[in-house]
Amino acid sequence: MIPGLGALTQDTLWCFSQLKGTVEIGATEADIISTVEFNHTGELLATGDKGGRVVIFQREQESKNQVHRRGEYNVYSTFQSHEPEFDYLKSLEIEEKINKIRWLPQQNAAYFLLSTNDKTVKLWKVSERDKRPEGYNLKDEEGRLRDPATITTLRVPVLRPMDLMVEATPRRVFANAHTYHINSISVNSDYETYMSADDLRINLWNFEITNQSFNIVDIKPANMEELTEVITAAEFHPHHCNTFVYSSSKGTIRLCDMRASALCDRHTKFFEEPEDPSNRSFFSEIISSISDVKFSHSGRYIMTRDYLTVKVWDLNMENRPIETYQVHDYLRSKLCSLYENDCIFDKFECVWNGSDSVIMTGSYNNFFRMFDRNTKRDVTLEASRENSKPRAILKPRKVCVGGKRRKDEISVDSLDFSKKILHTAWHPSENIIAVAATNNLYIFQDKVN
Amino acid sequence: MEFKLEAHRIVSISLGKIYNSRVQRGGIKLHKNLLVSLVLRSARQVYLSDPCPGLYLAGHPGAPAPPQQPEESAAGPPAGWGEPPPPAGRAAWPEPEPQPERPAVPEVPRAGDAQPAATVTAAGDTLQGGEAEAPEAAWRRVEGPRETAIGGAGGPAEVSGVFPQGPEDRLSAAPRVDGCRAPRPAAAEPPASPPVCARKRGAAGVGGGPADCPAPGSTPLKKPRRNSEEQPGGAAAAAEEEEEMETGNVANLISIFGSSFSGLLRKSPGGGREEAEGEESGPEAAEPGQICCDKPVLRDINPWSTAIVAF
Repeated sequence: MIPGLGALTQDTLWCFSQLKGTVEIGATEADIISTVEFNHTGELLATGDKGGRVVIFQREQESKNQVHRRGEYNVYSTFQSHEPEFDYLKSLEIEEKINKIRWLPQQNAAYFLLSTNDKTVKLWKVSERDKRPEGYNLKDEEGRLRDPATITTLRVPVLRPMDLMVEATPRRVFANAHTYHINSISVNSDYETYMSADDLRINLWNFEITNQSFNIVDIKPANMEELTEVITAAEFHPHHCNTFVYSSSKGTIRLCDMRASALCDRHTKFFEEPEDPSNRSFFSEIISSISDVKFSHSGRYIMTRDYLTVKVWDLNMENRPIETYQVHDYLRSKLCSLYENDCIFDKFECVWNGSDSVIMTGSYNNFFRMFDRNTKRDVTLEASRENSKPRAILKPRKVCVGGKRRKDEISVDSLDFSKKILHTAWHPSENIIAVAATNNLYIFQDKVN
Repeated sequence: MEFKLEAHRIVSISLGKIYNSRVQRGGIKLHKNLLVSLVLRSARQVYLSDPCPGLYLAGHPGAPAPPQQPEESAAGPPAGWGEPPPPAGRAAWPEPEPQPERPAVPEVPRAGDAQPAATVTAAGDTLQGGEAEAPEAAWRRVEGPRETAIGGAGGPAEVSGVFPQGPEDRLSAAPRVDGCRAPRPAAAEPPASPPVCARKRGAAGVGGGPADCPAPGSTPLKKPRRNSEEQPGGAAAAAEEEEEMETGNVANLISIFGSSFSGLLRKSPGGGREEAEGEESGPEAAEPGQICCDKPVLRDINPWSTAIVAF
């Protein structure tokens, strides 16, 4: 216990639970995790990487013998979701990097998820097979066909148990609908449709139909020279299947109602905070670009992430957010350097906890931040191998912004900007978080007393 | 004046990013290029805007003496850049490192001889040889208003003299060969010579010559800044676009790059992202998609005095 050192969120102590991923030596760029997502029950945790692979972890059943240790996540399935492609017409290479994974709610024994790269969305079915049929009449045990003339008796094939095998099969491929790079997918609450958003357009799909989609948002100007903003993220309302939001590079959020018109170019609500003129700089536009937007579980709020802050908006108030949290404001004076090394373009995501009381987002130096909306306390934690002993409690970190640096603080100039946490996920009902740090996946849990 | 210094540096970095984006895996990222172009526009506006001496001094005690400002203010960007008709001889581009060639920028206004992309990709050699004269001529053309303004007979001569091979031209052709990465280090050579300043200001600087500068058109105020320029310049040296920039027609270059990425791409030898506005053929599949052209954005003058004040 480290009382008093920094603020703790909800009196929660976070402990290291697991570390997944390759060791440093063998890591390649293809191993960099590009998306993390729990399924609706939290039983499964999916990650996608730059190499187009999806790895699904499953939480093991908690055993009575180990009550002090909650279920661990072990690899359940690994498959290659997307391959690099080449668009010959435009002489463009299409990256296989998985941009987003979204789970469908479970409706039968199999699990379904959507995974997408820049151009193509795929629906994958992950199912278990633990029995196999034996005793065919026309095939022998090796599968070779038998000569029917040699068959003298008939038998009914039976199912016999086999070692559990988890297989992933692509059930649908939704391709050729996006000219620009897909940045978001979102499953609708009707579980029949989903949307995919690229820089300028949002398409609505039916899961059963792959050869057509409806375009519901199109912000492409007639003259591309007049382009001033792009779509950066989009999400369906968790309960209202007609409502969705999308964020823009200008720091605005639009809420649209599909009942209003087929093409939702006219927003129903427009969320924008007036710019603070005292903070104007060359890079004001870049840092105001929203990198992620998420509905709260309740559907009442939306949370947006821009480069330096996380904001919570009430759907009923459009002119400003109700809460603004500074993630790493000490970077404001370093924007030019961050522009040079491209860090200013990093797209951080943000997540709600199950009860919408705490929000979490990543930062640099493998730091990630949690903000308790009720107590207004925040904490900075670090995902590092040094803190990776089982059940080791994470010590709150602090960045020193100048002046005297205390012993445990780290100065802004010592931050490692190559270690960035862009993707995090929070278990839907428990205090279990998954934090992607480059090619490693850290799983932290709150301390079980 | 640090505004312009910073603005110049940002412009060169931005152009480098735009160029590099063409060869990035996965195609041009529209979002990132849009943001870069917005930064480019902002930096350009600051670069070109008529600074209020008071503002500068208020923000930066170390700024050069105000007397420079009026003269610089007097000069304006050449009319060719879509800016208001230039007042005489304003030195709009004090910072750019002297570069012998100004490959594409002067060309383009003259009915597009060289393409920025070709220039960029060609990196040093071809630029030096073939285009030494063209930029020079461009200098002269650009210099026109200033010369009249300052009555600087020495102007053209100065310019031509220093342009590509002036001895004082630290960033002579040779370093150019190494590509843009070299110029900054090369520029670290004797910084103190006024002619260098003049050379560097070429198009812009002649009019800005301060009184105490021996050679007409040279700018001692540039000298002290020269050292500091080199540092940020060095940092930004990765951008091949610096070659084009540093001859001084920055704003022109910006409008070319910023307004028409497709122009860059069309001439790209890699043939990679050949999307061009001109090639749009209607169906989605033929759309450029990844190109963001923001000429109107550039032209959209956002009064941004607060930015200057902020700096």
